[in-house]
Amino acid sequence: MIEFVNVSKVYKTGTHALNHFNVSIDRGEFVFVVGPSGAGKSTFIKLLMREEKPTSGEIYVNGQNLVKLRRRKVPYFRRTLGVVFQDFRLIPNMNVYDNIAFALRVTNVPSKDIRSRVPYILGLVGLSGKAKSLPEHLSGGEQQRVALARALVNNPSLIIADEPTGNIDPELSFEIVDLLSEINKCGTTVVMVTHAHNLVAEFNHRVIAIDEGTVISDNKNGGYYVE
Amino acid sequence: MRGSSFGYLLREGAKNIYANRLMSFASIGTLVACMLLIGGSLLFSMNINRAVGYVEQQNEVEVELDDGLSDEQIKEVDKEITLIDNVYERKFVSKDALMEELKAQSDDLAALLDGLEEDNPLYDSYRLKVKDLSRLSSTVMKLESLEGVSAVRAPDMVGEIMTNVKRAVSSAGYFIVAILLVVSLVIMGNTIKVTVFNRRKEINIMKYVGATDAFIRLPFFVEGFLLGLVSALISFGLLWVGYNYILDVIAQNPSTWMTQVYSNIIPFDEIAAQMLAWFLGGGVFIGVFGSMFFVNKYLKV
Repeated sequence: MIEFVNVSKVYKTGTHALNHFNVSIDRGEFVFVVGPSGAGKSTFIKLLMREEKPTSGEIYVNGQNLVKLRRRKVPYFRRTLGVVFQDFRLIPNMNVYDNIAFALRVTNVPSKDIRSRVPYILGLVGLSGKAKSLPEHLSGGEQQRVALARALVNNPSLIIADEPTGNIDPELSFEIVDLLSEINKCGTTVVMVTHAHNLVAEFNHRVIAIDEGTVISDNKNGGYYVE
Repeated sequence: MRGSSFGYLLREGAKNIYANRLMSFASIGTLVACMLLIGGSLLFSMNINRAVGYVEQQNEVEVELDDGLSDEQIKEVDKEITLIDNVYERKFVSKDALMEELKAQSDDLAALLDGLEEDNPLYDSYRLKVKDLSRLSSTVMKLESLEGVSAVRAPDMVGEIMTNVKRAVSSAGYFIVAILLVVSLVIMGNTIKVTVFNRRKEINIMKYVGATDAFIRLPFFVEGFLLGLVSALISFGLLWVGYNYILDVIAQNPSTWMTQVYSNIIPFDEIAAQMLAWFLGGGVFIGVFGSMFFVNKYLKV
């Protein structure tokens, strides 16, 4: 599913973000990625989405070799992913329905399918009643659920969540991770980068800890507590 | 690409103009202002050129022939003159005709010439008009070298001045148009940059959910196209109204000088089609390529 083989990334500024980074994540896993600021988590995500290319090493995601993937094929690769960000990244002047439908419209999905798929996904994240609301009228937790719905609507085999609970209340954070866990139970791989130790402790998922660009611990059974 | 998506993209482009109406208004305003300035200076220099051309045509070159040439010899000269390509009109004036002409000019001259009909002291001549005043001196030289030509009288000074005026007006015109063109591109580019910048979030999201570059560009393409089109039509309309207004003012001015000017001004209808084509082409070009250029900057995610 996801395979990083000896990946290094050096930015033009000279920063060594990842050093001989190795990780392997199977289909259907739920993985927390933790580590202090500057550990290389963001770079890991960027490489995963093919926003950046590694300086050296091999990356395989969803059966694609990302190092060799042509620029023109990148959009089609991204359609196999669902991405959720800390800052939600919803379009402010579109209502909830359109924000979700947007992901389908811009990827050439027929309108018939959009009309059936969007309400289904809205039901899944528990926002059926808010379809006509604008993002600014929703709470942080609700906005993140809209973003999650948008990530899910393409039926991706991998969900990448970059600090999805960073901007929302602790109680609501739990809901989001719970939702991700439910999605994971249906077979979708989930990679979630987070700072929230309590969440990691609460859910029994694999935890990969990164520091200074390498994996420092990988605990398949949850929990990490490396100090 | 699927038909329904194409329709969606067209609608998006049109919707974006309304959604970003302040920016659209700014873009249209800038484009209209620039096109008006360019169109105005073009019209001005075209008119100056036309006026200079009119004055040019009023100039006559008089070719005086040797005394006592036979009809055959005159025919020969005639043939030679037709071979000079800068001459576009020639009129033979016999010495008898010249005498009649002079007599008609004033009573004093008539009294002086009276009784000389039998032994006419005047000369046969050709009156020529030249196409291009800037080549006047070489044409005069060619005429002088012809067999049977005794003298050539040409308005050298006028020719030189006119040529200089024409050259100055057209180079100044090109210069102004070039500057305005650069200014409009810069301002337009900036406006589009702001429009695209305001929507970088949207572009960014489109990239993350897997929209192709072509798909992201198309609404901007449509938007740029429509903005250019609307601006072109508005500036064309304004220029039309403004130009005809100025024509009216000139037409109503009673001074003869102004009447003379009026008769030489290019009527708008004559250049309307060409002007419209240029405006549409220019507006759409700037709109579309301006958008494309700046959208590309945000596509590298």
